[in-house]
Amino acid sequence: MLPKPDFIEILRTLAKHGAEFILVGGVAAVAQGAAISTLDLDLVHSRSPENLDRMMKALEALGARYRTPGAEGLKPARSHLESEGHQLLMTRAGPLDLLSVIGSRRGYGDLLPHTIEVPVGDVKVRVLSLAEVIKTKEEAGRDKDRAMLNVLRRTLEEKCKRKP
Amino acid sequence: MDEKQRLSGSSNIETRESDSPYTEDGVDLTLIWWMLSLTPTERLEALQEHLWSMMRLRGDVAET
Repeated sequence: MLPKPDFIEILRTLAKHGAEFILVGGVAAVAQGAAISTLDLDLVHSRSPENLDRMMKALEALGARYRTPGAEGLKPARSHLESEGHQLLMTRAGPLDLLSVIGSRRGYGDLLPHTIEVPVGDVKVRVLSLAEVIKTKEEAGRDKDRAMLNVLRRTLEEKCKRKP
Repeated sequence: MDEKQRLSGSSNIETRESDSPYTEDGVDLTLIWWMLSLTPTERLEALQEHLWSMMRLRGDVAET
């Protein structure tokens, strides 16, 4: 049985622990107005030593465990977050994917200039801009990404029309 | 019934190109307009509730 998804609670918990991360992927697109559905929360985190400490504390608070077969139920280790791999986790508030790099191997520092700050509940979250989300999905070139690209592009167009 | 009429759900209502809620590639603009009218928090809440509804329909959750 799966927990009720609560992306806001995951983001709040990470932010309250001072973790440095960027919301990317489908949920980043939804936060900016895209009418799409997605099940997992994708984040790119800073791999600085200080931030890894903050991330580990936040993951502990969220009860994060691996959801990948073979590692299911295991706690993520600091060394895992330091690596370039993807950490596919399940928390008490739903799935959470920690990504070290996305698209053409862009990490936290590369993506930071392409982010905006978005208020989510009582915290502010760094979110990859919609134009960059589109770019990463184009780079990925997967069928599931291609299927949502039309909606993302139209959302960006409509957002631009609304700008004063 | 042509494609535009089928998408607009009526064979009787004639729609002008500019009035259609659908783009030529089939994207429903009304959903985008609705999402853009919400705050970021409200958009995430809408997504969460949608997912929860889908999970309940599939029987993936324990009913309380």
